[in-house]
Amino acid sequence: MSKPRSGLLNRFWTDRPLAFKGLVVVALPLAVLLGSLISLYVASSAETRAEDDVRRAFAIQRDIYQVHALLAEAATGVRGYALTGEERFLEPYRKAQAELPPTLERLDVAIEDEVVRRYFVDLLRVTDEKRESLKATVELARLPEPASADEVETALIANKLALDTVREKIDRIQQREAVVLDERRALVDAVRSRFLALTAISGLIGLLGSLAAVYLFSTGIVRRVNRLEHNADLLARGEQLVDLPEDADEIGRLSSRLVGASALLRERENDLRASEERFRLVIERVRDYGIFTLDTEGVVTSWNLGAERIKGWKADEILGQHFSRFYPEETRKFLPDLMLERARSDGSAEDEGWRVREDGSRFWANVVITALRDEAGALRGFAKVTRDMTERRRSEEALKLAREDAEAANLAKSEFLSRTSHELRTPLNAILGFGQLLEIDLDNFSEPHQEAVERITKAGRHLLSLINDLLDITSIEAGGAELDLETIDVGEALAEARDLADPIVANSGLTFELVEPSVPLSVVADRRRLTQIILNLIGNAAKYNTTGLFVRLGAQRSPGNTVTFFVEDDGLGVEAAHVSRLFTAFDRLGQNKRSKTEGTGLGLALSKSLVQSMGGMIKYKPRTPGARFAFTLPSDAAPKPALPSSQTTGTQPHAID
Amino acid sequence: MQLIDRAEILSRRILAIDDEEANVRLLQNLLQREGYTQIFGLTEPKEALSTYIEWQPDLVLLDLTMPEVDGFQLLEAFSRHDAPDEFRPVLVLTADTTIQARRRALALGAKDFVAKPFDVVEVALRISNLLETRLLYERLQTGTAKAADRSAKTIG
Repeated sequence: MSKPRSGLLNRFWTDRPLAFKGLVVVALPLAVLLGSLISLYVASSAETRAEDDVRRAFAIQRDIYQVHALLAEAATGVRGYALTGEERFLEPYRKAQAELPPTLERLDVAIEDEVVRRYFVDLLRVTDEKRESLKATVELARLPEPASADEVETALIANKLALDTVREKIDRIQQREAVVLDERRALVDAVRSRFLALTAISGLIGLLGSLAAVYLFSTGIVRRVNRLEHNADLLARGEQLVDLPEDADEIGRLSSRLVGASALLRERENDLRASEERFRLVIERVRDYGIFTLDTEGVVTSWNLGAERIKGWKADEILGQHFSRFYPEETRKFLPDLMLERARSDGSAEDEGWRVREDGSRFWANVVITALRDEAGALRGFAKVTRDMTERRRSEEALKLAREDAEAANLAKSEFLSRTSHELRTPLNAILGFGQLLEIDLDNFSEPHQEAVERITKAGRHLLSLINDLLDITSIEAGGAELDLETIDVGEALAEARDLADPIVANSGLTFELVEPSVPLSVVADRRRLTQIILNLIGNAAKYNTTGLFVRLGAQRSPGNTVTFFVEDDGLGVEAAHVSRLFTAFDRLGQNKRSKTEGTGLGLALSKSLVQSMGGMIKYKPRTPGARFAFTLPSDAAPKPALPSSQTTGTQPHAID
Repeated sequence: MQLIDRAEILSRRILAIDDEEANVRLLQNLLQREGYTQIFGLTEPKEALSTYIEWQPDLVLLDLTMPEVDGFQLLEAFSRHDAPDEFRPVLVLTADTTIQARRRALALGAKDFVAKPFDVVEVALRISNLLETRLLYERLQTGTAKAADRSAKTIG
């Protein structure tokens, strides 16, 4: 995305880290300044050196004059001495002897120029000769016999010649020194002008460096930061960012982060928009719920298909209308406002009631209004979800009616049972009562009348047991029988049954046998009902066992945590064809054939109902010879049957052997 | 041990109330055979309370399920009328064999409860026992009264 850059250098520059750029921007003028200072220093020290050289040249000239002067004065003094012999003329000579060596020494140190040195060496030699000749002259003059004038004159002439030579040498040196001095002066001038130029150049470079630093700062940082700031503004407004080159420094990275953030933001925004769009489509297409929105005043602002279906208005017909028109006349005045108020204060408000459709018809609606708030908590409007509950309400009402009907029917059944019982017992009371009175006076009657009385009371008692059994069985089947469940010791129950059954069995001319369980057992049952069932089975066995010898009662543990009670006999048993109808009410199997036997025909049906109501099962099994009836009851440890009612047929069936 | 003379028991007044005439007849018949002399049979329960107040029976045989005024209402009316220390037993004889009826009747002051159809011998025995209890109670009260009388005289 980077724009083509003007050059590699520029590229290099922008890619450096900010710290580097800062360093460069600060260091560049500083370096230029430092360079200028150094060049100034160098120039000034060169000038100083050149001036020193000039000064030294002057000193050399002075010292050479000094040498010449000393020699000249010494020569004059010596001449005077030689001519007069007066000691005071030797004064300059002695001065020259003392001062020459240090002066020459100074010169030796100071002279640098090759040519001058060469002349100087000449001068030294000549000077030495001169000093020698002066010395010789002085000594000649001191001789006790004065030297000949000629000799002195010769010496003086020699001296004069030597002095001339010295002068000549000195002149040569002076000339050369003058040349050297001129050269040095020229050098000093050159150095000075170079220094001026250098200073000017340094100043210029310093200025340029500062400008360069400012330029670099501007291009490398300020402008880019400004562009970045602009992009940040765009990002804050959620607009598309301006493309910026992907530079490697901090600003460049910040810029690319901004781009990343912007991309992420846009992606999220798109996701959100897509999700909102999906949500809107889903809402729009929901058919079973009327979903629409209201503004803060209750004016409809959106409308879905479900709302159209339930209420009848199309979106373009209802948008912009106040939602109170969904309410029937009697609630329109207050309920809409109340609902909005409740939604406003509690967050949402639910209501169930009548609403009207576009065509004016009514429907039973469940309505939930939810307040829509923005992040700051300011109310933006309301969402309203309406369900048409008319069908449900109708079916609920039907269900309620059906339940009430069933309850009433049940109540009526109980009522009918107790009424029937009462209505049957009342006349039976008179029949049996008078019959009993007649029985007491039986001896007073003739034989046919006696038999008639017996028949009346017998039939009456039969009728009574029929009524009792019938009511019993009906009330058990209606779930109305009251069971008094308790834990009963099986041995005890068997013993109790034996006491009651013994006479019945004996009456039939049979033997009663009791098979006690090998281990102590207990069952959960209604004691009276348990005895009733056992006696019923024993009564049947005693009644129908017309060919055998015994009736046997016993109990044993059986699978499924149950106890099985059984009653066996060795009689004729039940005909195979009748087995399936054994436990059916009023089905007195083969009664016509075995007319001797009597009973209500309800005994087994009642026993079955009772066993089932206590959570057990009853079954018949043929023996050879005879019959075996066995029923289970839950053992003590077993969980109690769910309910003491006929519904317990649904409980786990227990195996019966 | 017979505490009370049989004759004294048999001379007591017995009021039988049952809307079924046959049952009233049965009771009358039974009681006559037993030797009772003062038996009043009522098939109109509306007249029961006035008879109870006027005739002052020693024992009431009462049916529960009757038209217009039922046995429970009569039990309430009887106990409202009786003095608190009076023992006038009511034997309920009813074809309503539900436990609710039995409890309600006994709670309202019935002294005994027999389901129809009843055993005539049993009913005769219960009647005799209840009357005996009433006589003993009477005797106790008279004794106390005499004793009080005596002590009152002694002190006076």
